Amino acid sequence: MKYKVREEGNVTVIDLSGKLMGGDDADVFRDLVYELLESGRKKIVVNLASLTWINSSGIGILITGYTTMRKNKGDLKLLNVSKKIESILYVTKLNLIFECFDDEYEAIRSYSR
Amino acid sequence: MMAEETFVLEFPSSYKWLNMLDLMCAEITAGMNFSQDALNEISISVIEACTNALEHGNKCCADCDVRAVFRRLEDRIVIEVTDCGEGFDFADYLLHIPDPSDIHKKRGRGIFIMNAMMDKLLYVQSEKGGMKVILEKMTDRGGEEGDD
Repeated sequence: MKYKVREEGNVTVIDLSGKLMGGDDADVFRDLVYELLESGRKKIVVNLASLTWINSSGIGILITGYTTMRKNKGDLKLLNVSKKIESILYVTKLNLIFECFDDEYEAIRSYSR
Repeated sequence: MMAEETFVLEFPSSYKWLNMLDLMCAEITAGMNFSQDALNEISISVIEACTNALEHGNKCCADCDVRAVFRRLEDRIVIEVTDCGEGFDFADYLLHIPDPSDIHKKRGRGIFIMNAMMDKLLYVQSEKGGMKVILEKMTDRGGEEGDD
């Protein structure tokens, strides 16, 4: 997994690329989430557009990020969820947990509501 | 009548090899009567099975291989994934299936996903001692009753 972090106003967008399948990715993503929290960034959008693959371990990594943000009065939302990822979220009913967007502007704007 | 074709892949227990399973599934199922959704479900399930095998079965030990056997039949695809681990009681697991939407659960979603996406999911003890998961999915025509 690779990532880039960019600031869009008071929202942080994390662009993930490659594959998110567990292993070292879990530590890397957890460290990133804590780093953002420490710098006061609690409104997160994770952009999955360039993610080539994810498995249940990768979903677990996103859930850990989500729960960490929520415990700290923040949130983590998903952007550009592919059909494959959507089917995993649907089967595991995690589509009811994650707020998902197809449009980055809408994802960012959702934090202003 | 199409003859059965078998493909065998053995790879070390490392996450970096999981990616090729997607390509392999796409190649092996090419020309079979699966919808795109079904093809996605096969790939997702095979990767889940291999993730479980290397994580839980082989404990990520690089010396232990994961063995995936793909059997392409006329009306279905059957995939057997074997690890070198000690195994677990699948029947007991089925009695205590975790709620996959429970965000406090870190594990247990893989089997749930495979069970939902494949027509058949079975765990058996392999002849060599590890655990073998057998996944099966019928083609669109293979699932039809009275098809000629």
